[in-house]
Amino acid sequence: MKSKILALLGGTLLSGVAMAGGYQVNLAGQRQIGMGHTGTGLALDNASIFFNPGAMSHLRENGVTIGGSAIFSKIAYRALEPGNTEARTDNPAGTPFQVYGVYGITDKLKAGIGVYTPFGSTVKWGNEWSGRFGLEQLKLSAVYIQPTLSYKITEKLGVGAGLTYVLGSVNLQRSIPVQDQQGNYGHAELDGDATGVGYNVGVYFAPTEKISLGLSYRSQVDVNVEEGDATFTVPASLDARFPDTKFEATLPLPATLTLGIGIKPTDKLTLAIDVNRVEWSAYKSLRFDYEEPVSRPAPEGLVSENARNYEDSYIYRIGAEYKATDALALRAGAYYDSSPVQDGYLTPETPDADARGVSVGLGYNLSEKLSLDASFLYINKKERTDLSDKSGGIGGTYKAVAYIPGIGLNYKF
Amino acid sequence: MKNFIYKSGMLALFAATVLTSCDPEIDGASPSKGEADFTKYVAVGNSLTAGYSDGGLYREGQLNSYPSILAEQFKLAGGGEFTQPLFTEAQKNGSGYLSLTGFDASGLPILKPVTTELAVRGMGADNKTLLYTEYLEPVNNLGVPGIKMIDVSTAGYGYNNPIAFNPYYERLLPNDVTPSGALRPYVATAAATQPTFFTMWLGNNDVLSYATSGGIAAISDLDKFKTNLDAMVNALVGANNAKGAIINIPDVTGVPFFTTKATATLIQMAAAANTKLYIVGSDNVTRVATTADYVLLTSTVGTPEQTPVGTIPHGFSPYNPLRNNEVLDNTEVATAQAATANFNNALAAAAQAKGLALVNMNTFFNSVKMKDNKPQLTINNIAYSPAFISGNLFSLDGVHLTPRGNAIVANEIIRNINATYKANIPTVDETKYRAVLFP
Repeated sequence: MKSKILALLGGTLLSGVAMAGGYQVNLAGQRQIGMGHTGTGLALDNASIFFNPGAMSHLRENGVTIGGSAIFSKIAYRALEPGNTEARTDNPAGTPFQVYGVYGITDKLKAGIGVYTPFGSTVKWGNEWSGRFGLEQLKLSAVYIQPTLSYKITEKLGVGAGLTYVLGSVNLQRSIPVQDQQGNYGHAELDGDATGVGYNVGVYFAPTEKISLGLSYRSQVDVNVEEGDATFTVPASLDARFPDTKFEATLPLPATLTLGIGIKPTDKLTLAIDVNRVEWSAYKSLRFDYEEPVSRPAPEGLVSENARNYEDSYIYRIGAEYKATDALALRAGAYYDSSPVQDGYLTPETPDADARGVSVGLGYNLSEKLSLDASFLYINKKERTDLSDKSGGIGGTYKAVAYIPGIGLNYKF
Repeated sequence: MKNFIYKSGMLALFAATVLTSCDPEIDGASPSKGEADFTKYVAVGNSLTAGYSDGGLYREGQLNSYPSILAEQFKLAGGGEFTQPLFTEAQKNGSGYLSLTGFDASGLPILKPVTTELAVRGMGADNKTLLYTEYLEPVNNLGVPGIKMIDVSTAGYGYNNPIAFNPYYERLLPNDVTPSGALRPYVATAAATQPTFFTMWLGNNDVLSYATSGGIAAISDLDKFKTNLDAMVNALVGANNAKGAIINIPDVTGVPFFTTKATATLIQMAAAANTKLYIVGSDNVTRVATTADYVLLTSTVGTPEQTPVGTIPHGFSPYNPLRNNEVLDNTEVATAQAATANFNNALAAAAQAKGLALVNMNTFFNSVKMKDNKPQLTINNIAYSPAFISGNLFSLDGVHLTPRGNAIVANEIIRNINATYKANIPTVDETKYRAVLFP
């Protein structure tokens, strides 16, 4: 059953390439994406389930929101000087999505459920590039399912909490540096499903009509692959050294603490500021424990581990929405995302660097009940050169950009 | 409404298509020749230069010789064509070579000679040296397997005669028996090429033939070495005042031919069998081996052999010690290292006198030796060491390099050339070159 759900969600709707710091994907609501992915300090729409469960109680209507984005990303690589070898990813379009439903049980208590994809990564370098012994491709996906309750304590104060159940999957492929008689390199594939549990809590406070504040905390979720499949293709004479076996691995999806501020200078204009603190320091190493020794005899061959030693990072976001007409809202935003990856630890799976994002969006009321949101986000990561000598990565210069159009429908009742 | 969704969908799709064509770009420095001129690059040297690999000279090894790799990179900065004395596709296996066919029960590699599609054209006048298919066009790669520095001035070194000669040089020389033909010494052949840029990796065999024979063959005379070295450098620098790089001689103890049958392991095995490892030392006296002695890759150590006191694994009894020619003992290692140091001093002095790049391969190969059983060099997530087969650098003969080893050596040479001549020759992607092939 579990894998069926994953096949459905993970297969048809792949999570996007890691376009925020690390492998986080901050694309949780179309309206918010248009505003630089702010919204923790606002009771904007059903996406408050993600942004701030405390604000959910202050939503005016019941409703359902469905949305999705398409991530078109490219990463370029160039070997360390004086090398001139170049490579480029051929990432499939990532499709993070979000579904939210909110229903008022009483005037004060609202219940909601959200399904969203805040982490994921599909990076495909292929089996030709010089770093293929580090990585050919990595597909990570995590689907969060979050039932949520939110309580309006006063007209000014709301609190909310949700439990997150996470369905994850990982597929990692790389070349093995042993060659058959034709010169073909060996191949390793690690594939597994995982689950994890966490929570998402928030407080919303609107002291005046013009100012609102939000504080939310999405907990760390450790997704644990218990019985993954490790498959090795090597020349026959080395088969015994590379047995197909099972592996276990745990990947931390880090906690995020967000402080958000909403300002409404006029009826038509909404401004928002969010600051995220992402507790990436939880990601210390990428470790695979094998059931049988691989490549080397036990005990060394039972473990493959590379240091990551990420650092906590901050993301600074601003956004604005302007109601041009009763039906049409225009949005814009920007953010700066500092990389959690320290020097020496860059890897081809998340060749991360400080990133700048700019977004635009629009909202259009198709009817009293139905509205449409569209967003477009452009992410430009700084060019970064790293020796990658501490992470088992591939040293060189990396540069990534992404274009992310998105669309969502919102139905109120 | 449908129309609206359709339109905005198409718009998004269109925008996505346009924008994905804006791919990220990384600007790198352009290749440049600096103070060097790669119009005519010539490589002189021995088997390493020729592309000898897996115990033989064959087409694949030639195609992946470090000079051939260098020449391809030089072309990015004005380098010209580079001709090698390649064996033809029909005779691609050249002299024949070793291939890995599997591992025996104890995990040792099984090596089998390849004997088809050879380039053997007959038997030499000395009745022991095979002759190889000739290549009489001018070549840029003058690598001659087996040649020593002290051989370069010898007239007739490549002449098919009843005493002895070098068949790899013989195949490059005209057949007319004149001083400028079949009798031409190597230094004259080098001079005639008139390069604008050269590499010289000579001198390895002046000490290596001593070492691989377990201290039986002679080490070259230092004075003769220096005289010939000066002659070679003068011939290559020549009237063009050519720039170039001199590559020095690695330490024998960093080569798998001497380290694979590790004495420490053999001593442990002997101890486990309640005996010791015995060798005949350089003084022809049988004694217990220490870790300062190096057992050669070609030694039959451990093979059960008949002795007057029964069948005993070879080397595990004073009645069946490893022979002098199976071991480079501690005295011989010291002799080889002293000679290497002397030759390297001479090479460094020659490079300095002419302002040439000096590529310290001795330092490089020492730096890749295993420490605490761990490889010290990792490139693109592949570990490299002088370990036999698994170290990726050395071919199946334990002395010569794999194509990947050649690429890594070429990159090391490129870095030195760049530094000396303020050039920017790009290094190669070494993962495009193979290491040992497994069945």
